[in-house]
Amino acid sequence: MADDPRSRGPLDPRTIIAFYHVNLRYRDQTALADVSFTVDNGEFVCLTGPSGAGKSSVLRLITMDLFPTKGQVVVRGMVSTRMKRGRIPMLRREIGFVFQDFRLLEDRSVYDNVAFAQLVVGVPGADIKKNVMRVLTQVGLWNKRDRLPHQLSGGEQQRVAIARAMVNSPKILLADEPTGNLDPVTAQEIIDLLFRINDGGTCVIFSTHDHEIVKTFGQRVMVFRDGRLASDVERRVPERDRAPRLSDHMYRPGEEPATPHREGGHA
Amino acid sequence: MLRRTQLGYLARESVAGFRRRKLTTGVTILIMSASLLVLALFVLVTLNLGMTLERTRENVDVRVFLVGGLDAERLAGLQPPFLAIPGVREARFIGQDQALAEMRAMLGEDADVLEVLDENPLPASYHLELSRGHRSPEAVAAIASELRRWPEVDDVVYSQAWVGALESWARIFRWSSLVVSLIVFGAAVFVISNTVRLTMASSRRVIEIQMLVGATNGFIRTPFLVEGILHGLLAGGLAMGLLAAGHRVLSVRLDGLAFFTPVQVGGFVAFAVVLGLLGSLAAVSQYLRLRRVV
Ligand SMILES: Nc1ncnc2c1ncn2[C@@H]1O[C@H](COP(=O)(O)OP(=O)(O)OP(=O)(O)O)[C@@H](O)[C@H]1O
Ligand SMILES: [Mg+2]
Repeated sequence: MADDPRSRGPLDPRTIIAFYHVNLRYRDQTALADVSFTVDNGEFVCLTGPSGAGKSSVLRLITMDLFPTKGQVVVRGMVSTRMKRGRIPMLRREIGFVFQDFRLLEDRSVYDNVAFAQLVVGVPGADIKKNVMRVLTQVGLWNKRDRLPHQLSGGEQQRVAIARAMVNSPKILLADEPTGNLDPVTAQEIIDLLFRINDGGTCVIFSTHDHEIVKTFGQRVMVFRDGRLASDVERRVPERDRAPRLSDHMYRPGEEPATPHREGGHA
Repeated sequence: MLRRTQLGYLARESVAGFRRRKLTTGVTILIMSASLLVLALFVLVTLNLGMTLERTRENVDVRVFLVGGLDAERLAGLQPPFLAIPGVREARFIGQDQALAEMRAMLGEDADVLEVLDENPLPASYHLELSRGHRSPEAVAAIASELRRWPEVDDVVYSQAWVGALESWARIFRWSSLVVSLIVFGAAVFVISNTVRLTMASSRRVIEIQMLVGATNGFIRTPFLVEGILHGLLAGGLAMGLLAAGHRVLSVRLDGLAFFTPVQVGGFVAFAVVLGLLGSLAAVSQYLRLRRVV
């Protein structure tokens, strides 16, 4: 790589996430040791590595659900070491999160599950309907909006979860093993959906164990081993070339720079 | 600033919480009202005891019985020396005839027994009223022993002896009720916050999703606080209702048993509401502080 992301500062307008010599310990267990990297606006990143390598921990640090024991995490200009508790909700509105086990509200319809994310952050009623329709159409489930989660297949449930994560138009979508509970074909559909979301300009970071997915993934792959970043490479796989690559993500005019931003600013 | 859609959500969620968790809600309210009842009971007993004590103390009744054989002049002449004793505010003479009349009135129908007497056996006496500063058991005892040394005085009888006992007993009661109240209060907060935490465990998923998508803690907290307030309102009302019913039953037998004034009842329910709110606040804050989402 011509431009080493590790050498950039957090105020570089391309940088949306930066880790600086991050160490993370859970009580007596070291989860991450001296991890440094940056992620650009609009990048698509796959985190992989054996179980316990620290993939989920990286995602937890990005949402600031956890804070580094040592080092610093900067997300959209918000610095972990200077983060106030009251600011965390504002950060979370910039980040969508998807889990392996979907985590839908079982007693609410597809529509209500997605609308819930807008309701609790105070989006006006008229906009909620418009936004829910947009994201449910994007994931192909607008026609199943009145179903309850248990009336959907696993893949469909995950798409509802993705719609919920995307409805507040976050700048970053994080997915922790989003395909872990799905068969290979459905898993690939979810990855395709993530590609489409990334095409829309959202930075997507997901973790996976699945070698097939990693092999065919034509974007940046970060491999973790024992809490260390073992490799960080840009893959080129022709059939996956449609998604924008790191080199295409030099600062684009009209893109908001990653500096501290407005209160409650969900786009 | 909350939007209308958010307010609607909060209102629905607060009520829905009540409906969804009938059992925990019921148990919470019952336990809360039981604790509040104990508390109110102690306060009420203390209140009544204090009033009885005050009334008894107001009616300090010192009777000085005089030796027989004193002539009218001597008897009347005793009044100035009685009044000269510090603390004696009034000295009323009760002659033998008046004493007999009082006895007759007291006996009512049984007054016939007095007819067999050919001589009035009742001694003349003085009824002393003490001024405010001299009504303590010690002060009365001092006056009594002073009077007993007078040659004209046969005996001194006063109600203050048992007032002293009552007073020290009341003091013990007041302190122990304070201690018990504090314990009950702590237990109530503990119970409430634990039930709320239990309640929250059942709403875990909803809370997690809210934290995940960036709802503020204040917003997440609100339905639980509203629920705490409703718990307090219902539990306080229930406790007061039970206590009032109990008071009514007891009043049939015991005269002059006081109950809380309407203002005190209102204050007590307000106190219950604060208790419910504190319990919720303690639980929800701790929960939100410890909870990890991802
Ligand atoms: N809550 C926790 N308490 C203690 N240790 C933890 C906790 N969560 C994770 N760890 C430890 O931290 C290390 C990294 O965990 P992490 O969950 O980040 O791994 P992972 O790469 O996501 O693994 P997997 O692929 O199994 O999900 C592991 O050794 C794990 O045992
Ligand atoms: Mg994991």
